[in-house]
Amino acid sequence: MNEIYAAVFGAMVLLGAVTTALYRDPFDKLISLSLLAAGIFPFLVDRGYLDVAAATALIAPLSTIFILMVIRRKPGGA
Amino acid sequence: MAVLIALAVVAGIAGYAAARVLLERNTMCRLPFLNVVSFAVTGALMLLLPHPLTIIACAAYFVGSTLESNAIASTWAGGIRKHE
Amino acid sequence: MAPEFVLGLLLLVIGSIASAWPVPRTYLARLINLEIPAWGLLLVMLSYDEALALLTFGGVSALSTYIFVRVMEKKGEP
Repeated sequence: MNEIYAAVFGAMVLLGAVTTALYRDPFDKLISLSLLAAGIFPFLVDRGYLDVAAATALIAPLSTIFILMVIRRKPGGA
Repeated sequence: MAVLIALAVVAGIAGYAAARVLLERNTMCRLPFLNVVSFAVTGALMLLLPHPLTIIACAAYFVGSTLESNAIASTWAGGIRKHE
Repeated sequence: MAPEFVLGLLLLVIGSIASAWPVPRTYLARLINLEIPAWGLLLVMLSYDEALALLTFGGVSALSTYIFVRVMEKKGEP
């Protein structure tokens, strides 16, 4: 991968991690976490692990949906 | 050459939409740009590696990321309401 | 050095600190912050070319998130 694209997606990963740690609202945290995951997948595909990328892309939203099951239970969360 | 230009355009769209996601203050304004990020990353995945199996990884990521962002938006809007 | 390795180590450090001291001290924020070192460990495994470890870790991560969600629902909100 070119260095410029690595810099763009790496900045996306780092900013997603920092803002996931700093936001207070759970929905903002989940949106930043999705941004982090979107930055990681080009690195997976660039190394040639296409099967790993497909399996991870299908499993990762399940984790987000499990966390959303908790947010729905909170009285002020929705 | 055309692939390089397309990859540059798609990476630029991804960076711009990521910046808009991080800079918006309202949670509702972030969600469409999250969709834009996932579409642009899908295009970048397709253009990065010329391999016949890439289309499967691209389709899996497209389905997964769209499902994820729509689940976040649906829960933010109140979820599925039951009749009580 | 490979950019995946450096990025994975940075994600591990940021995610560990954010998961040890989450900003709202709730179980939900801790669980969402725990996803950051999971992605970091995935990037470190990617830089060492371990395909089977990547596949197994991607599956077990979602399973452990489901178990934590069940524990939080049974225990109630703090």
